[in-house]
Amino acid sequence: MSEFDPNEHTVDELDDHLETVDDEDVLQTILEAEQAGQDRKTAREAVHRRLEAIGAIDDDRDGVEEGTETEGEYEATKEDVGEEADGEDVDDVEAGDGEEADADDGDEEAVSDESEDADDGTDDDASAEEEDDGLSQPTRDKKHVRALDGGDYADMWVFCETQQGELLEVSQEMLGKARELMDGFEAEYGDDERVVAFLMGDDCEELAEECIAYGADVAVYHDDERLERFLHKPYTEISAHMARGQGTVESTDWRDYDEPRYILFPATNNGRDLSAKVQAELDSGLASDCSDLFIQEEEVSNPVKTGEPGVKKTFEKVLHMKRPDFSGFEYSTILCLDNPSRDFHPQGASIIPGSFEPIERDDDRDGLVIEHDMDLEDDWFRVEITEYDQLEAGIDLTDHDVIVCLGRGIADDPTEGMELGLDLVDAFEDAKLGITRGIVTSSYQFEGHVEEYAKEERQIGETGQVVAPDLYIAAGVSGAVQHKVGMDESDTIVAINTDTDARIRDFSDYFVEGDLFEVLPRLTDVVESGEMTPEAIADGRGGDDE
Amino acid sequence: MRSIALTKGVPDFSEGAVSFNEEGHLERGKTPTVMNPNDAFALEAALQTRVRHGGHVSAMSMGPPGYASVLEEAMESVYADDTYLLSDRELAASDTWATAITLSAGLEKYQEEVGDIDLVFAGFKTADGETGQTGPQTSWAMDWPIVTHVIALDIDPDERILRAKRLVEGDVDEIETVEAPLPCFVVTDPEFEPRYRKASHRLTHKRLRAETQRRADDHEEQLTTWDHEALNLDPDYIGLDGSPTIVSSVDPIPKAPSEREATMIDFDDGEAMGEVLEEMQPYAAGGD
Repeated sequence: MSEFDPNEHTVDELDDHLETVDDEDVLQTILEAEQAGQDRKTAREAVHRRLEAIGAIDDDRDGVEEGTETEGEYEATKEDVGEEADGEDVDDVEAGDGEEADADDGDEEAVSDESEDADDGTDDDASAEEEDDGLSQPTRDKKHVRALDGGDYADMWVFCETQQGELLEVSQEMLGKARELMDGFEAEYGDDERVVAFLMGDDCEELAEECIAYGADVAVYHDDERLERFLHKPYTEISAHMARGQGTVESTDWRDYDEPRYILFPATNNGRDLSAKVQAELDSGLASDCSDLFIQEEEVSNPVKTGEPGVKKTFEKVLHMKRPDFSGFEYSTILCLDNPSRDFHPQGASIIPGSFEPIERDDDRDGLVIEHDMDLEDDWFRVEITEYDQLEAGIDLTDHDVIVCLGRGIADDPTEGMELGLDLVDAFEDAKLGITRGIVTSSYQFEGHVEEYAKEERQIGETGQVVAPDLYIAAGVSGAVQHKVGMDESDTIVAINTDTDARIRDFSDYFVEGDLFEVLPRLTDVVESGEMTPEAIADGRGGDDE
Repeated sequence: MRSIALTKGVPDFSEGAVSFNEEGHLERGKTPTVMNPNDAFALEAALQTRVRHGGHVSAMSMGPPGYASVLEEAMESVYADDTYLLSDRELAASDTWATAITLSAGLEKYQEEVGDIDLVFAGFKTADGETGQTGPQTSWAMDWPIVTHVIALDIDPDERILRAKRLVEGDVDEIETVEAPLPCFVVTDPEFEPRYRKASHRLTHKRLRAETQRRADDHEEQLTTWDHEALNLDPDYIGLDGSPTIVSSVDPIPKAPSEREATMIDFDDGEAMGEVLEEMQPYAAGGD
């Protein structure tokens, strides 16, 4: 969150930077960022020195962090655990009982007391002004906190989204992946945990059976004519009710746990919304737009999760949720882990359509289909769908001879760059314009009709369309892997780029070293002229020779 | 109508300034912070509401003190009357659950101290986290209805309802028309386009811009900052402590092994270009 992220710098660089900072809050933010990141002892000491230097803390108190614990414990911890684990002495160790700590303005608040001298001692006054019940119950009675402590969890649940009376393809894909993961789970841990599909709609029992055919062991469904189309409130309420094991019409013999261990949703417009709401309601976490999943143990030293600084804790059976991050240059692996007195289960993910393969449909597969029962309150239907229409199919970039794809090389003049790309497209018999994710996520200001072409529907890559034309021309495309998977089956790939180190070079047949703003117009001239001679391109006059 | 536009600062990926350190990690610290590009659509929707129906628009964000500049940017584009920043060390490293709780506390405090909110506008996904969860989770915490992926919006202030068109993705794409009661959350889709059909709307738009320009000079006077104590939030349930998820690793997407041997072509070398052109010839329009 800090504008200066210490994790991006060496301690020496950090030290230099700190010399320029006189604001205690800024220093504290840097310290937190360090603790949340690399947590280097030397880096923390550097911040402490600076805090002392600006008079924010007393030398003999030895830094802000220890305000959280008794000095004795702190010292012992520090010496006992040695250098590696030594970094964990942040001010959050007593997760779970901070409520009380706050009430008597306890340990944890020591830090802010120091840093907010002006407010110090006026806390009570300030809180008295609140209409809320003051410091004794901050966060308003924890009204949003639903998490269990020490609950039982099992099975992988999969929300099977439907549309027009059919399972979405991504629902089938998730069931296939869940099948594979839970088969692996059984082999690894010896526990036979299941794939549980859950779905809702108008008359969806048959779809529940279809979920079994696609790999589910159990399918829980809720039928109601008002659920024909997705609605945030009732879908959330029903999903949470199902997950908690309530409302099972037949016996509940099939499950003996509090909540699912894992839960998957499709990363579609409605699936993402539902994932966010259900996980909020179940008070757990979520990694969105994932493209890979695996289950393994994970050793963690983050004290928020271990409950104790300097101690490493191994979490078993952790769902590792991998998602392409930022502009497609990195993958992040997200974990949803219990805090010491607050369980974060189910571990949730939303899944990019097309990431996984469904298993072959087998209508003879055995499985348990369970109807779910719950009274749906009228109030949940205050948002009303009055009309709906199917949209014309979007832009289809597949099945064309040629694709001209533009990347961030157009940054100098995005509108002009797009125009040049479109000109080249027009010069071909059967070509379409594609763009990289970098352009979709950019804040380029396109003028005029060009803006039409800068939309997600033209994106090529892992999260866009996958194309394999005869000829692929990539102009100003750096070649992130997420882009590569969308085009590397093309027959001939021609890259146009000024940077000969660009990754795309490794998967191009021709690499034209040059600025697309110069290369594209001349290519267009030549292609338009039909006079594909070296002379034509070299003199840049296209077909004028004729 | 009283609206809140939620916005967030993100690293500016648009400058092509994305650089990598030796380990191949993105150097975020070196990237300037700008307003999340997708929030522009939420701000447009808030502005449209203001122009058509009058009222008040506040912009709200959560982040370090430096985010005041993001709010300033938001103020200029939405012509916000005032801005609110939820900022506190305790909020650092919040994931979406903790963010939603904090934002809902901010909205509730706003209702207590400033006025009743009719509409909360949020963008879809941020350019850095891209989770798309904040709007839905904040509406959950408020227990308000929400309409997402909105591409067109009409408000009926008398009936106190909104009518919106929203995009539904699936194996086929659909457009739904929905009606929802106020107060309500609106999450705009990047396809959202404001419409100002009446001349009076366009005049109002112009007047607001002039007013905002005067205000923007001293935007700090319109900025209110609330910390976790002002928001009455327990530090154990916000920030890093209150976040279910952690990022266990960030891996540069590996450089793929070279699969094709690229022929390097100097653009000015006609001979070499001839080879490329031969590849293109069969596909030229009109030519065979």
